[in-house]
Amino acid sequence: MMVWHILKRELFDHINSLRFALTTFVMIVLMVTNAIVHLQKHADRIQEYSKNVPASINNLKSQTRLYTLAQKGPGELYKRPSSLAFIADGGDIFLPKLVANDDSWRAADVESIATLGYPETKQKSKNLRPPAIPLDWAFIITYLLSFIPILFTFDALSGEREYGTLRLCLANPISRSVIVVGKFLGTLIALVLPFTFASLLNITILSTSPWIQFDTTDWARLALVFLIVCCYICIFIAVGLMVSARLESRMSLMVLLLIWVTVVVFMPLTLGTLAAKWTAPIQTVQQFRATKKEFIDNIRAENTRQWVGMKQQIDPEVELKDEILLPILRFKMEWVNFDRDTRENLNRAYLMAQMKQVQQARNVCRLSPAATVQYALESIAATGLTRHLQFVENVRLYMKQFRQFIVETDRTDAESPHLIGIPEGMSKKPIATENIPKFEDQLNFRDSFTSALVDMLLLVLFAGVFLSGACLFFLRAEV
Amino acid sequence: MLLTLIRQEVLSHLMSARFFAAVIMTLLLIVANTVVLIDEYERRLADYNGQETAHRQKVEEAQTYSALELFVERPPNPLSLFSTGLEKQLGSTVEIYYSLVPLISSASARYLTNPFLNLFLKIDLVFIFQVVLSLLALLFAYDAISGEREAGTLRLVISHPVPRGSLLVGKYLSAMVCLLLPVFLSILSVLILLSIASSVQLRPDDFLRIGGIVLTTIVYLSVFYLMGLLISTISQRAATSLMLCMFLWVVLVLVYPTWSRFTLNPVGDTRAEKLSVEEQVNQIWEEVEREKRRFVANSPLMGKPPWFNLTGSGRVAWGDRRYKIDLKLDAQSEELVPHVQEYHRTLSALEIRLAEKTALIREQSLASTDIRQARWDELLMKLSPASLYTFATTAWVGTDLDGMFDFARATQRYHQSLIDYFHDKEAFASRLWFAADKGSVDWLDLPRFHFEREDVWVNTQRALPELFVLLFMNLVLFMVTVLVFIKTEV
Repeated sequence: MMVWHILKRELFDHINSLRFALTTFVMIVLMVTNAIVHLQKHADRIQEYSKNVPASINNLKSQTRLYTLAQKGPGELYKRPSSLAFIADGGDIFLPKLVANDDSWRAADVESIATLGYPETKQKSKNLRPPAIPLDWAFIITYLLSFIPILFTFDALSGEREYGTLRLCLANPISRSVIVVGKFLGTLIALVLPFTFASLLNITILSTSPWIQFDTTDWARLALVFLIVCCYICIFIAVGLMVSARLESRMSLMVLLLIWVTVVVFMPLTLGTLAAKWTAPIQTVQQFRATKKEFIDNIRAENTRQWVGMKQQIDPEVELKDEILLPILRFKMEWVNFDRDTRENLNRAYLMAQMKQVQQARNVCRLSPAATVQYALESIAATGLTRHLQFVENVRLYMKQFRQFIVETDRTDAESPHLIGIPEGMSKKPIATENIPKFEDQLNFRDSFTSALVDMLLLVLFAGVFLSGACLFFLRAEV
Repeated sequence: MLLTLIRQEVLSHLMSARFFAAVIMTLLLIVANTVVLIDEYERRLADYNGQETAHRQKVEEAQTYSALELFVERPPNPLSLFSTGLEKQLGSTVEIYYSLVPLISSASARYLTNPFLNLFLKIDLVFIFQVVLSLLALLFAYDAISGEREAGTLRLVISHPVPRGSLLVGKYLSAMVCLLLPVFLSILSVLILLSIASSVQLRPDDFLRIGGIVLTTIVYLSVFYLMGLLISTISQRAATSLMLCMFLWVVLVLVYPTWSRFTLNPVGDTRAEKLSVEEQVNQIWEEVEREKRRFVANSPLMGKPPWFNLTGSGRVAWGDRRYKIDLKLDAQSEELVPHVQEYHRTLSALEIRLAEKTALIREQSLASTDIRQARWDELLMKLSPASLYTFATTAWVGTDLDGMFDFARATQRYHQSLIDYFHDKEAFASRLWFAADKGSVDWLDLPRFHFEREDVWVNTQRALPELFVLLFMNLVLFMVTVLVFIKTEV
């Protein structure tokens, strides 16, 4: 097997080289640092989460009347921190950690009921430390595992051509693509080795912590990360081979470095901002609040008008009978529920508009494999934007369940008029607090996988295109 | 002879494709990012103006002295597009309240546009120089000596009556000339774009700052070139020299600045200290509660402030250490009014005193926690020339920590002038402090807040240490290179 020979020779060449030693050293230092930093951060995150969640569950349990439960709602619902946040931080400080109730209000005779709202992230405005990129795996992978493949391959073909060994090699009965594939695989293994070693070291350090327990899905996620990394390395090896097939060593290095700086350093940073600039502008938070307030004030004014009209028809002297009282209660109930639905829809629409803008900008960024791999790692590590969307979806599903519970509990009470949302209309029996559904945010492997799928396919596509490009270029190159 | 050398080197650099490609790419990046950054600056400026108007309106709405809601805003720095520093990271709105001394950490941030867009980090122009041109400098240098040695031309050159030192000087000067070209072209295109976008108003001394940035860039690039030259002199083969240069670059520019703050910072976790300071402050403020009780016990006033046993209507916002009252008193409460005036006079004097005391404690705690941590970060990061360069440019622009302190001090001065204004008007002891039923406050002569960036000389002084360190690095590197080169066999 000729490929095997070439592969073995390449691999040994690389392993004996200075660049291999330097790569291993840098990888190990970074990965160990990452583990140590994450140990501290993760313990903090878990502690915060495990302090917040019981607090909101206790708050839920303290509600003994069905109405207060409907009116106060489940309170603050927290996002579960991912135990794999060391892989990709995902802009943790820019994303909200919780979903909470929207503002409540109280008019003369009615009070609003629990409405789902999405509080904005409070940016850490007191951070005086110089700005820095978080040191996660994604940082190490996107920058180093694209830069190092280039250093390994820029002279892979051109160097041999310049020394004349390529001619010698081709004088044997080997097809050119076999040489390319052999070199490709040899370099791939030479690069995956230090990464594997450093990441295993990283995971070993992490698993000494009592705060971090990897379960089976976590291992599956890690395996996926490994595949993604291999794919990402392949892209840059292929690009390196492609350029080195045509150009002389010095020129090839220059071209590769320029490509690298553009694609890896600048495209993910600049393209997103550029793209966001040209997407349809959305309202600012202040504008949204103002329009929402205006909209709701209008509805409330309209309702108050009707309410006053209704009140005037009631004769205060006459004792209120059910046939008069019931339409009034029904009116109040409809009002309260309509207000909730309207506000919830507005909040959600605004959140989705914000997300859409970001998603569009991210789609443009996917032109760069560095951004693609970043997004894929975020999805797999269950951090970042897609994970936040999943969390919001989890909350929505839970709220449905929560409301269902209220309706069903109310239905069991025959005395209740079954008007959900107002104190007079709901069951007054004490509720069994242990039956109230509790929110626990779950990290779903399938969700992570599906959201990463597009990015992973894109990476495979990139790798395939460039590898065949490398073969093609080398086939047509003069030796 | 030197001139011939330089001319030959410059020509060979200029004609090379790598140079051409690097220049084109730098220019493209600079132009694209300048467009983005100008747009962003315009948005921040519009926001600043809108915010200012809103703050002024809030002042006008206040009927009583205590109902004054006073906020000041840090104006966006037009040069921040060169070097962002802490400009966007730190909050820009500061509340000015008589019993609340503003500190650097009391600025709050707001979100105006889509907060999720913060996921895309923004880069400044200096970052482009920092990354691309330092790489180019190393690429010029890595084979300057080792390449010639391998090709055998070095022997040829040395056989001429050229001292080895001037050979190095020639190489150095010619490479620097070539590196300067993209810098000047970029700055020129930025200036053209800035003048097209009329929104960015530069002051005359801003051009001096830009000059300072260019100077720092030159010194920074020279450090990288000399590092490459040294490596190239030491290593026998161009390939080895290249690998060393590239890894050095990755470590110094990308890895080390991020790595150092996570591993080396000795300050560590400061949360416990901050909590204890909060407790201390709370204890000090308890004196206000005691004083309140004492006052009420010795006066005809009864009940709890701000209403006591007054009757009437009005608006009250009563919070922790902050209150806004606007009462309309009934006739029967009139006789109590002097007592209420006396109450607010005594209490506010105490509150101002305590505010200064607590501010001192807070300031000390900040100095020993956050600021110490930030200074350590800076110090450690400065071991890399790339970070030295970043900090020097933020110092030129005024977006560094010191620049933020300038603003904090300005807000403190303004806070003092607000208290002076209240004293001048005898506001604390006046009925207008809490009741606007007999005429409201006229805010015409309320002092206005105005923040001007420090003079360019102050910025120069702040940038000089970093600049000197960079120059010193240059000197050492050059001497070592010359020494090594003289002693090496060719």
